[in-house]
Amino acid sequence: MRKRICILAVSVLVVLMASLLLSGCSHTVGTASARKQAASTGPDWGTLTVEKELPLQYATQFTVTEYEDGYALIDITDSGRYLVVPEGMAVPSGLDKDIVVLYQPLDRIYLAATSAMDLFRAIGGVGSILLSGEDADGWYIDEAKQALEDGSMLFAGKYSAPDYELIYSEGCNLAIESTMIYHTPEVKEQLEKLGVPVLVECSSYEGDPLGRMEWLKLYGVLLGKEELAEELFDQEVAAVNDILGQTGTGKTVAFFYITTTGTVNVRKSSDYVTKMIEMAGGEYVFSNLEDDGNALSTVNMSMEAFYDGAKNADVLIYNSAIDGELHTVDELLAKSPLLADFKAVKSGDVWCTGKNLFQEPMGLGKLIADMHTILTEDEPDSGELNYLHRLTNGGT
Amino acid sequence: MQKKENRRYCIGFAGLALALCVLLVGNLNAGSVNLSVGEICRILFEKTGENAAIVWDIRLPRIVAVVLLGGALSVSGFLLQTFFANPIAGPFILGISSGAKLIVSLTLIGFLGRGMSIGSVALIIAAFLGSMMSMGFVLLISNRIKRMSMLIISGVMIGYICSAVTDFVVTFAEDSNIVNLHNWSLGSFSGMTWDNVGVMSTVVIAALALAFLLSKPISAYQLGEVYAQNMGVNIRMFRAALILLSSVLSACVTAFAGPISFVGVAVPHLIRSIFKTAKPIIMTPACFLGGSVFCLFCDLIARTVFSPTELSISSVTAVFGAPVVIIIMVRRQKHNQ
Amino acid sequence: MDDYYVYTDRMTVGYDGVPLIENIQIGVRRGEILTLIGPNGSGKSTILKSIIRQLRLLAGTVVLDGRPMAELTERDVAQKMSILMTERMKPELMSCWDVVATGRYPYTGRLGLLTQADRDKVDEALGMVHAVELADHSFSHISDGQRQRLLLARAICQEPEVVVLDEPTSFLDIRHKLELLSILKTMVREKRVAVIMSLHELDLAQKVSDRIVCVNRRSVERCGTPEDIFQDEYIRGLYGIERGSYDTAFGCLEMEPVQGPPKVFVIGGGGSGIPLYRLLQRRGIPFAAGILQENDVDYPVARALAAEVISEKPFEAVGEEAVRSALQTLDRCERTVCCTTSFGEMNRANMVLREHARDCSLLIGIGELEQFVYKGADEHGTTAYIAGDTHGFCC
Repeated sequence: MRKRICILAVSVLVVLMASLLLSGCSHTVGTASARKQAASTGPDWGTLTVEKELPLQYATQFTVTEYEDGYALIDITDSGRYLVVPEGMAVPSGLDKDIVVLYQPLDRIYLAATSAMDLFRAIGGVGSILLSGEDADGWYIDEAKQALEDGSMLFAGKYSAPDYELIYSEGCNLAIESTMIYHTPEVKEQLEKLGVPVLVECSSYEGDPLGRMEWLKLYGVLLGKEELAEELFDQEVAAVNDILGQTGTGKTVAFFYITTTGTVNVRKSSDYVTKMIEMAGGEYVFSNLEDDGNALSTVNMSMEAFYDGAKNADVLIYNSAIDGELHTVDELLAKSPLLADFKAVKSGDVWCTGKNLFQEPMGLGKLIADMHTILTEDEPDSGELNYLHRLTNGGT
Repeated sequence: MQKKENRRYCIGFAGLALALCVLLVGNLNAGSVNLSVGEICRILFEKTGENAAIVWDIRLPRIVAVVLLGGALSVSGFLLQTFFANPIAGPFILGISSGAKLIVSLTLIGFLGRGMSIGSVALIIAAFLGSMMSMGFVLLISNRIKRMSMLIISGVMIGYICSAVTDFVVTFAEDSNIVNLHNWSLGSFSGMTWDNVGVMSTVVIAALALAFLLSKPISAYQLGEVYAQNMGVNIRMFRAALILLSSVLSACVTAFAGPISFVGVAVPHLIRSIFKTAKPIIMTPACFLGGSVFCLFCDLIARTVFSPTELSISSVTAVFGAPVVIIIMVRRQKHNQ
Repeated sequence: MDDYYVYTDRMTVGYDGVPLIENIQIGVRRGEILTLIGPNGSGKSTILKSIIRQLRLLAGTVVLDGRPMAELTERDVAQKMSILMTERMKPELMSCWDVVATGRYPYTGRLGLLTQADRDKVDEALGMVHAVELADHSFSHISDGQRQRLLLARAICQEPEVVVLDEPTSFLDIRHKLELLSILKTMVREKRVAVIMSLHELDLAQKVSDRIVCVNRRSVERCGTPEDIFQDEYIRGLYGIERGSYDTAFGCLEMEPVQGPPKVFVIGGGGSGIPLYRLLQRRGIPFAAGILQENDVDYPVARALAAEVISEKPFEAVGEEAVRSALQTLDRCERTVCCTTSFGEMNRANMVLREHARDCSLLIGIGELEQFVYKGADEHGTTAYIAGDTHGFCC
């Protein structure tokens, strides 16, 4: 008898749960959309006139079309279309379904694409970023670090497991994600469900390094600082142009790092780092690592193949992004003793990138200048260089 | 004696139900955004207001998912432990999670490697397909073998094969893909939506009901196959049904939350030591409740202790589960002596 | 075949498609016990497993209650047939009462819940096997004897019409063996249950069965009542006994006799000689026994163990010839022991033998016998004398 009562109690519990489920299932929260501004009672989309296309010199992965009254349509190739609506203006009617509306001022941004922070910093937009995908320790950019430490920016969890509650309750009005979000599609979907528009920045697909930097202009459009963005970009390009004008030095360069499994990770021939080497006047050692269809920019090759191809390279540059910075040649040889045979090691022309390099796309121009410097000067002053340092000989 | 048993069951169930309610309330109240109890109650009944989305779209679906999946894992573990008469059998012993991981990695690398994007539904279906694939192999083998210990071995072998193929495929993938695969393998309850909950509740509740209806043949099976058959159990169909049910439950969990370790192994032992019985008619609902309670507790810890960073749910379950199982085993040994 | 409750019709059994025994025709009626005997590996278990459908039949059918078993559902079979096999059960956390209660499964509903009537039947079954006090103990903590009884109780409360048991007494001590079989006998008598079982203990098989089936590796050799089957020579052949013997009349085993010319002459009779025969056999000393009537209790054992037996026809007084032959044998032996103390009309001749031995200084007492036994066949230094009454052996 008692057993029957127990079973009854359990089944009641189950029924309770089931009813809870059912009541929730049919529920779609409309409150998020209630936070959005007024409905679309604006001008007819079809009749809006195009004022101009944003001039882009190097970037190929996005376009911006500016319309009258300040509307701007951002089209990121294969990723999405976004209509920037100026503050106080109404949303045009008759928009295509896939266009995501972004309401200015975009001042409560969740930035999970670390490379974009530097671009925001350049146009003075760090203040518009409220939530960050990296904690204070993870940033090399001082403004961001400072903001996280004094509380004006909040850490909202990494891109794959963001703190939805925080993002929602802070009234985030735009989430900028890197292409890594495609690996965790449920995060993008959940954010959109909560009413936060998601912009996936595809600057990593840009083949030209200056193209990557040119995304500065997109962020300028978002923040309403197009002219500033253009000015800064032109400055950087001008600085690089000097170097571009010079003839090549003919020196061969290898850019690589050694993975934990002992293979060597090198850039492909069409990768943007390869381009930078060429722009700086050098020649990339591997000229035939073509794009084999997948979207990767690097390739893992065996030590043997690397030895074969890069043994006689004039300059070696070690990529510190994954493993950490190296400072002495001994540290390099500890990773692979075979490197001792390399010409560049024997002549002492081994360099390493700074860890902050990949967080600072604005500095790509400076990196090109650095490369040019090490290719043309025999004993460059370490104060001159921004992102590269030579590996020293001798004991640690 | 029977009265004592019944009283024990009543207390056990009451205790579990109470713990469930307490944890439900606790989980509802916990999160980065501080909401008062009154506020939450109001939102529960009215569904409107500033923070309604937090409660209804973020916390509630996650809580319900944890309850369902935690219970599913635990029941699956119980079924397999009984079937194999092996105390360390768990929901993934038949290679379910390895199969799921294989298909998920193929999907991730296949689509993303080509620069195409996929929806979360695709990953869920991929994981489910992978699990069912492993289960299919195991079912095929189970018809041909006589001893159940062979089935465990074949499940483990299938797991190894799938892992090997996964590693092979991953060799050609970029480092970033691998990181995500690793994250997926740790399991997480983050990002549950009501759609997810809808699907998983149908599957889990249906499977549970069937498992409950199988209580009689399961308890016959506890005496061994020979006696079970004599008591009227069709051994062939029973084997297939049990493998199918436990696989579906495990597959559901893997598909929506990734492979979460330890719950399926530890919770049935905990429940057995509380209820002091192995009767399936008690154990099935008790394991479900126990699994839900355990997972609610672990999820609470995983998402609040180092907020906003989320701990991996598998590490939390292992940290709490392992010592408890060890203690129980040691005490049982002492008692036996 | 009509009145058989269970019978096999041209059944062939074997493993993995390879036939072991073919064309089996055995059957059992209600209220009857059918026992399979045969050497190890002869296929008894195979036959039993095939009957209970654990093994697939290679040919033929088993008919249960008039219908082929293949046509019956599992539930039907479960309600008619229960088993007690050699597989060890290891149920977790189940009390003895729970294990016995599982026997009610073929009668309970969807979820297997027990009604009060079911509970009463379980208690009744426990009572029948005298295991009521074990009900609350954990099943994993009881002894083998108790376990077999509980499994039998389980088989009982399944309310079967036929019970199949595979070597149910093998691991039990003598008390439990007897207990189990008597419970079985009660079931058969009171509830008219049919029993099919296999036994290794021939003596028990002989005593408890109504019909016997002899199985050897190739076929079912014989089928009949114990009186028909149990003959010394046949059993010897069936089991291939080469060393030792089995006496079917008494159902007792004897070790093999020590070979060689007899060294000790044992004067016995009336049961007094048996312990000495066994002692000498244990010590490896060949002996002669006499003079015994063939209906004497000592006679079968003497026949099995002695190198030579001098006997007389049953119920007859010992005759001249026997005495003469006995004297000859006695003279050839090194020592003589007289075990019997009662001399009546029929065995007056034994007194003569005893006197003769004394005169020849060959008679020894049991204490001396011990020394003799340890020293071996040593003529010197052992004086003949009559020891006091030690162990009742001496006269």
